[in-house]
Amino acid sequence: MLFWQILIDGFAISALYALGATGFTLIFGVSGVLNLSHGAIMVAAAVAAWAAAGLLHVNAYVASLIGIAVGIVLAFATYFIAVRPIQQSKRIAESEREIFILTATLLWGIIIQELVAYLYTNNAKTVLPIVEGVVTVFGVRTPSNEFFTAAVCWVVIGLLWLLVNKTRRGKAVLAASMNPRGVTLLGIELSGIYLTVWAVYGLLAGIAGILLGMFLGVSSYSVGPLTASAFSIVVLGGLGSVSGSLIAAYVVGYLETMTAYMISPAYRSVPALLLLIVVMYVRPQGLFGRR
Amino acid sequence: MEYKAAALVACSTLALALPAVAADPIKIGVIAEAQAVAGSSIGPAAQLAAEEINAKGGVDGRQVEIVVYDNHSSSAESVRAFQRAVSEDKVNAVIASYISEVVLALEPWAGRLKTLMITPGAASDVITQNIAKDYDHLKYTFHGYLTSSALAGLVCDAAKDLLVTPLKMKSAVIVSEDAAWTTPLDAGYEACLPKVGLKVLDHVRFSPDTTDFTPIFNKIEGQKPDVMITGISHVGTQPTVQWKSQQVPIPMFGISSQATNSTFWNDTNGATEGVLFNAVSGPGVAVTPKTLPFVEAYKKKYGNVPAYSGYTAYDEVYMIADAVRRAKSTDSDKLVDAMEKTDYIGTIGHVAFLPKGDPHVHGLRTGKGYITGLMLQWQDGKQLNLWPKELANGTLKFPAFVKVATTR
Amino acid sequence: MRAMFASRLVWIGIAMLAAGALLPLFASGYVLGLLTVAFYTAVFAMSWDLLFGFAGEVNFGPTFLIGLGAYTAGILDARLSPHISIWLCVAAGAAAAVIGGLLLALPALRLRGPYFGLTTLVAVLLLQSFIVVFAGLTGGEIGLSVPDVMSIDANTNYWIAFGFMAVSGAILFGLSRSAVGLILQASGQDSVQAGALGFNVVKHKLAAFVVSAFFSGLAGALMVFYMGTASVGTFVDIAVGVQVIIAAILGGRRTVVGAAIGAIFLISMGELLRPLGELATLIVSFIALLVILFFPDGLLGILRGGARS
Repeated sequence: MLFWQILIDGFAISALYALGATGFTLIFGVSGVLNLSHGAIMVAAAVAAWAAAGLLHVNAYVASLIGIAVGIVLAFATYFIAVRPIQQSKRIAESEREIFILTATLLWGIIIQELVAYLYTNNAKTVLPIVEGVVTVFGVRTPSNEFFTAAVCWVVIGLLWLLVNKTRRGKAVLAASMNPRGVTLLGIELSGIYLTVWAVYGLLAGIAGILLGMFLGVSSYSVGPLTASAFSIVVLGGLGSVSGSLIAAYVVGYLETMTAYMISPAYRSVPALLLLIVVMYVRPQGLFGRR
Repeated sequence: MEYKAAALVACSTLALALPAVAADPIKIGVIAEAQAVAGSSIGPAAQLAAEEINAKGGVDGRQVEIVVYDNHSSSAESVRAFQRAVSEDKVNAVIASYISEVVLALEPWAGRLKTLMITPGAASDVITQNIAKDYDHLKYTFHGYLTSSALAGLVCDAAKDLLVTPLKMKSAVIVSEDAAWTTPLDAGYEACLPKVGLKVLDHVRFSPDTTDFTPIFNKIEGQKPDVMITGISHVGTQPTVQWKSQQVPIPMFGISSQATNSTFWNDTNGATEGVLFNAVSGPGVAVTPKTLPFVEAYKKKYGNVPAYSGYTAYDEVYMIADAVRRAKSTDSDKLVDAMEKTDYIGTIGHVAFLPKGDPHVHGLRTGKGYITGLMLQWQDGKQLNLWPKELANGTLKFPAFVKVATTR
Repeated sequence: MRAMFASRLVWIGIAMLAAGALLPLFASGYVLGLLTVAFYTAVFAMSWDLLFGFAGEVNFGPTFLIGLGAYTAGILDARLSPHISIWLCVAAGAAAAVIGGLLLALPALRLRGPYFGLTTLVAVLLLQSFIVVFAGLTGGEIGLSVPDVMSIDANTNYWIAFGFMAVSGAILFGLSRSAVGLILQASGQDSVQAGALGFNVVKHKLAAFVVSAFFSGLAGALMVFYMGTASVGTFVDIAVGVQVIIAAILGGRRTVVGAAIGAIFLISMGELLRPLGELATLIVSFIALLVILFFPDGLLGILRGGARS
């Protein structure tokens, strides 16, 4: 019984982590940006969906779409406000761009977080679930929403794989992540690539935010932990490696779930942190890191 | 003749001087968490009380002035705000916060800066225990809300009347967030629940940062209790929503601070149907003749209903004004003496403070004739009161997925 | 060129110090209290700048060091008072921060780029978990009240903080201009070259880390005995670390003096905007973002009015 509970719960939460981490790693892999406003974008998407449902009295589908749209808009905003100006600024030395972008995305994330708290208080909000009710699988009574979450995550990840490996645009993005200069030599506009990547990132973060909002609920307090969690998973898996992130997400998700069930819910996040430290000392490039 | 002239001159100079003194406003600093739902009512409610008092002529001609400080739920900012309030803005008293951590950080400063401070919402027993340990230094603090141990007792009383006697419930699991205010709460639960007939099967404390309650609910369900006795404040929306989406067949009863907010139904998209929670006030419940007029005035001025801390903050402004009137001074030591003699019918009941010598000195007197609190339940978007029977305006009803003892 | 450059910074520093020293004659207790906190934050920021600006290492968790200092001092006082003097507690706090810094830096300095930063971040998360889990010892999430404070007089507290900031600033600034500082700067910009020139890069970065840890921990410990409490929200939280980093970059990195300016600016702005309530943090962050985007050399850069060489 316990085994099935851990298996099912762990799967759903890991899928959610995976989706969030995939977006984060995509942006790093292609744009070279560690986006510290990641958690804020996810939370803003979820809160937007909740607010839309409340204010406009739309149904769950429309509210979710509005939330995802907000995610995409915020992703673009992040690119144009916090990232591009610094990447193109002549007043910042090459070696310092990274720290400036980090700080800028951090500040941008704080701005979004405070805006959410100001408009809607820091109370947790939940997104209207698209799927309700429970099913009993292997004797475990599970909300159908959990299966929905896991399914959507994997479908999106699958579509992303198709996009990157099978479409022309996607292959260009993949190439750009490995060798930006080489791509321009082929006559492909890098700026177009970046726009595509940030749009996809916004979509991923938006969907992850909505699903999180439906499954567990979010508040402005969630912003920091969400970014930290994505960061940790991505480093564990290896910065820039999408498959690494997926596997790391499942490792972390199951570690947390097992700890919560078998040791105590109070120590949930500790084993994952310890694992992160071990990996960083033993194999700092992560499980599948390239750089 | 000279005497009369002298007396006239003396009187007129005195008369000229008096208005200058009487014009000095009584300043009350309010330190609160403006972004948190529970904290956002404190300032506005205090403001409302001040306006009402001023409209009736103030306190012996002196106007009451409220100075508000948003502390962003941070102790450090609260300490800074307190220091600013006393040194710069020269307040005569402070109403501070609903968070135990903040009040505990301010308590020694109220002592160091010798300023009256009263809290409208924190629950930790340590606040009053500290005063008992060091009365001379810490006597400036008053605990204007129910302590955790008092809350535990009230929840047990309500559980007896609502769950044990009519529904024959026999067992419970205590579920609370691992925070300072729940330590004495849970201790209180463990002591009083068996006395009313509920055996405590387990005691689950979870980290206040928890977002995924699935393992917790599964663990509790495995033990098959008749009811979950709760102690949650920092979390509320998430466990409630997950309780419903997982269709956990065990009812939730006890303390759930966020459930007292009128916006909670929307925050949880209705998942809070059937949740029972303690409160000091409920919509339409006339705990005292002052309760409903206050709610009406608040709604008229601000457009929404006050959170629980609004009721106590409102009362506290009146109580401070009353203390000033009785002490005929704003000197802190005299104010403390006057506050100790408070005997006031407020919006949440008959307010009186426990005296020096009591282990909970400066805490509220509870029980029949004083503060008893209510037990409310969310039904169809409304908060209905079920206890005490004299103030009830609804009957107990659980959602379909909750299996009650008698139907098993 | 370098001499003029250096002396302009020194003059700005001296001017600020003079102004600061005379302030208690004019300002109210409230303003002094505000600046007291700002001065401690300035030391946090200057310590961070030494590490980042010069050694080129981005420390995402300055609050690991600050928190170690603050909590060690606080716990010792809470447990052993009145048998222990607060100055001993402060010294213990600084020592704990140095030891913690060494334990963190020894393995961490072997990692490149973002991994070093992440290790420091994880250190903060671990410290936070430790504090919350062992609440019996540390007071947990509600914080720890210490029975003793240095003084309740606003002037005395101001002088202590001011003096501490001035001395720390002088030491840190002096280090940055010394031979050691130049080596650090070289290592920060191009460690391979610096190594090729025969300098032990790791040893120098380690030294920078230890110095940064010492001052951070010391400042944290002192601040505990100013506020009377230690809590996660004041000393350990990532948000506090973010404030330190922003202060240093906002003020002008690699200048030490800039970090102090940034810290004082941030805290003052936050307080000035207090009447706006919830929007204050938002506006301060927004201004900080604007400065970073348009004036990457920070406030000091604006003050000096022009491009650096």
